[in-house]
Amino acid sequence: MRKFLGSLSLLAAFFALGLADPKPEILVFGAASLNESLTDLGKAHEAKTGTKVVFSFGASSDLARQIQAGAPADVFFSADTARMDVLEKAGLVRAGDRREFLSNSLVVVVAADSTLKVTAAGDLANLPKIALADPASVPAGIYAKKWLTGLGLWDKVEPKVVPTLDVRAALAAVESGAIPAAVVYRTDAAVAKSARISFAVTNGPEIVYSVAPVAASKSPKAAEAFVAFLAGPDGQAEFKRRGFVIRGSK
Amino acid sequence: MSDDLSILLLTLRVAAIATLLILPLGIFAAWHLARRRSPGRTLIETLLSLPLVLPPTAVGLLLLEALRKSGPIGRLLDQAGVEILFTWKAVVLATAVMSFPLLVRPVRTAFEEIDPRLIAMGRSLGSGPVAVFRRVALPLAWRGILAGTLLAFSRALGEFGATIMIAGSIPGRTQTMALAIFQRTHIGQDEGAMRLVGVTVVIAFAAVWTTEILTRRRAQRTSA
Amino acid sequence: MIDLDVSLPLARFPLRVTAKLAGDAVAVLGPSGAGKTSLLEAIAGLRPHASGRIAVGDAVLMDTATGISLPPERRRVGYVPQDACLFPHLDVRGNVRFGMAANARAGIFDEAVAILQIAPLLSRFPVTLSGGERQRVALARAIATEPRLLLLDEPLAAVDPELKGKILPYLLRVREALRIPFLYVTHNAGEARAVAQEAVVLREGTVLFSGPPDDALRSMSLVDPEARFDNVLAGSLAAGRSAGETGSLSVGSTRFAVPVEEHELREGRAVFSVAPDDVLVSTRPLEGISARNVHPGTVISREISGATAWIRVAAGGIEWTARLTRGAADELALLPGATVWIAVKTHAFRRLS
Repeated sequence: MRKFLGSLSLLAAFFALGLADPKPEILVFGAASLNESLTDLGKAHEAKTGTKVVFSFGASSDLARQIQAGAPADVFFSADTARMDVLEKAGLVRAGDRREFLSNSLVVVVAADSTLKVTAAGDLANLPKIALADPASVPAGIYAKKWLTGLGLWDKVEPKVVPTLDVRAALAAVESGAIPAAVVYRTDAAVAKSARISFAVTNGPEIVYSVAPVAASKSPKAAEAFVAFLAGPDGQAEFKRRGFVIRGSK
Repeated sequence: MSDDLSILLLTLRVAAIATLLILPLGIFAAWHLARRRSPGRTLIETLLSLPLVLPPTAVGLLLLEALRKSGPIGRLLDQAGVEILFTWKAVVLATAVMSFPLLVRPVRTAFEEIDPRLIAMGRSLGSGPVAVFRRVALPLAWRGILAGTLLAFSRALGEFGATIMIAGSIPGRTQTMALAIFQRTHIGQDEGAMRLVGVTVVIAFAAVWTTEILTRRRAQRTSA
Repeated sequence: MIDLDVSLPLARFPLRVTAKLAGDAVAVLGPSGAGKTSLLEAIAGLRPHASGRIAVGDAVLMDTATGISLPPERRRVGYVPQDACLFPHLDVRGNVRFGMAANARAGIFDEAVAILQIAPLLSRFPVTLSGGERQRVALARAIATEPRLLLLDEPLAAVDPELKGKILPYLLRVREALRIPFLYVTHNAGEARAVAQEAVVLREGTVLFSGPPDDALRSMSLVDPEARFDNVLAGSLAAGRSAGETGSLSVGSTRFAVPVEEHELREGRAVFSVAPDDVLVSTRPLEGISARNVHPGTVISREISGATAWIRVAAGGIEWTARLTRGAADELALLPGATVWIAVKTHAFRRLS
């Protein structure tokens, strides 16, 4: 019996070692739509500086909530400024550290083999269901709602809305055929495997991403360095390549 | 593929650590619930069973409120420089809390099944209460302790609700199998999700199979 | 010297035992439920609600007045319950060694094993042992702790009847070799007489009688429906008186015909018991009767208990207890002083040691 306990504790110690945080690395919370671009940029940054960049992608609202609860993120890249404002108000990011150089545009997607005729906003109200990142909190959904509200169509569309956890979930819903259409970013449609753009949103709201190092970061220098990298020429080039829009950096 | 491996290793590690953490406390609690007839017993039993009955997300939220920096415990931890939320330690904590009642129950039953006269005999022969627990109760309850441990470990492997509340789903740090399956599914990586599901099924199967074999063999040895 | 002044609330009545016992070997008698086991448990320290005073020799185990109450592990009292209560997860060796202190006297383990003759059992587990073997192991386990007092709770009750005779000698050997005082709970006055010098009879938690075991008979027949009053005879063995007899037991100047195997003759001394049911009483000299042991005697006393009559007869140098129907006792007018003959068959003698 004692031997059993003894070997268990050895095992535990062994496992615990594997979980300690030894290497220099920074944790970046990024909006779901930034998945591929940030991952590539992270690898490039590591190659250049040796700092490993670890990502957690998700809805900006959810990530902001986690940071507020004390999550050890070093950098936050939000899909809208409102989430960043919340953190700034809470003293978790400094106004002067914020960079808002990135923008995007909205598109409506349908399944690649879909035969639906969805060519204008008005057609959305005729669909049985539409996937949107939760318009109550997630930036992509908030932008979509703003767009449709501006056209006076929100009340008609709202009953059809299936809210998803983030914008990629909305895309996945269309790709799997579960839902006929979704409003996502143009950059999301670019990486879709079985969805195509049905039409592009031309009169949508202004989309502004916001990135900043988190004030409580344990590696402030590395965080700042990565943010600078993202906002710099290499970062901007990558984003442009992926289909993002550069606003003109701060 | 190596992603899958690291997710598997992380899951196994936190489940093992969580199970080890709750073992001493769980056995202690089970022993006291089995032996004493105290007035507070029903209250303690109820509290300990709450994680079984509450939705895991509710348990997670309660833990979150307690541990956030503005909360009572969070403040103390922050002063001590200890970080728990959204790290692997939070995964261990969530898992430990959810698995605790699953460990206590079979162990308590095993202790209750011990003839109290054997305990009295041990005392009469010169062993104090702690020595009797170690030399008589523990060996006789071996089967229940093993079953409880494996049950708690199996539960720990699959913990989701409380984990996602206090640890988030950070790949490489807090993303366990259960969280990874969820994540992959909802961004459309169905194949990747199914791979993980397959691994989970294999592990769960092995865990329960082992429990069955080990507890059965024990039964043959100590009966009659 | 065992000094008892114990109070303990029980289910139906309180246990209140006050007794000063010389304490070499004390039999505790009484009907089931009288509190005998509770008394032993209280002395062992296993009843937290016991109060009063318990002292064994110089050692005070409990004294509520001065706030002393030693926990069971410090009392050094060897408790052997009715059904041995061996640890199932340990082999015999492990059981016997369980209570031995780190600084135990070297050789006590071997002595205990030798006295109880359990050497061949040491590697076996309790579940594979017979009732008698378990009892011996339990006894060895208790004496290996070098207790200051042994508490034996009906040690022969769980043993097969044929084997009872085999255990008793071990108890006698323990008493002789180790000189540990003991309290011995039993329903059998014969066992009590064979083993103890004093007896205490309990009824409903109080002491009904305290004195020599022989005199406990009267109290016992009144209160204990399970009481057994075997006649116990100790003497020396010899070959049979004539060709048709297997052996004889000489007790004092009287020889009794008893069943003896060839090889047993060599053992010399022996103890036999005769059940009271097997003692025939006649008011006339007996002739042409098959019993080989017939002796004239005098009725000493008679006790009536319902339809049963207990008759004590002095015959052949022994005080016999015979159980008759009340009708028979009345018809034969078996009153103290009457001249009678007792008859006991050879095969009614059962070997105790």
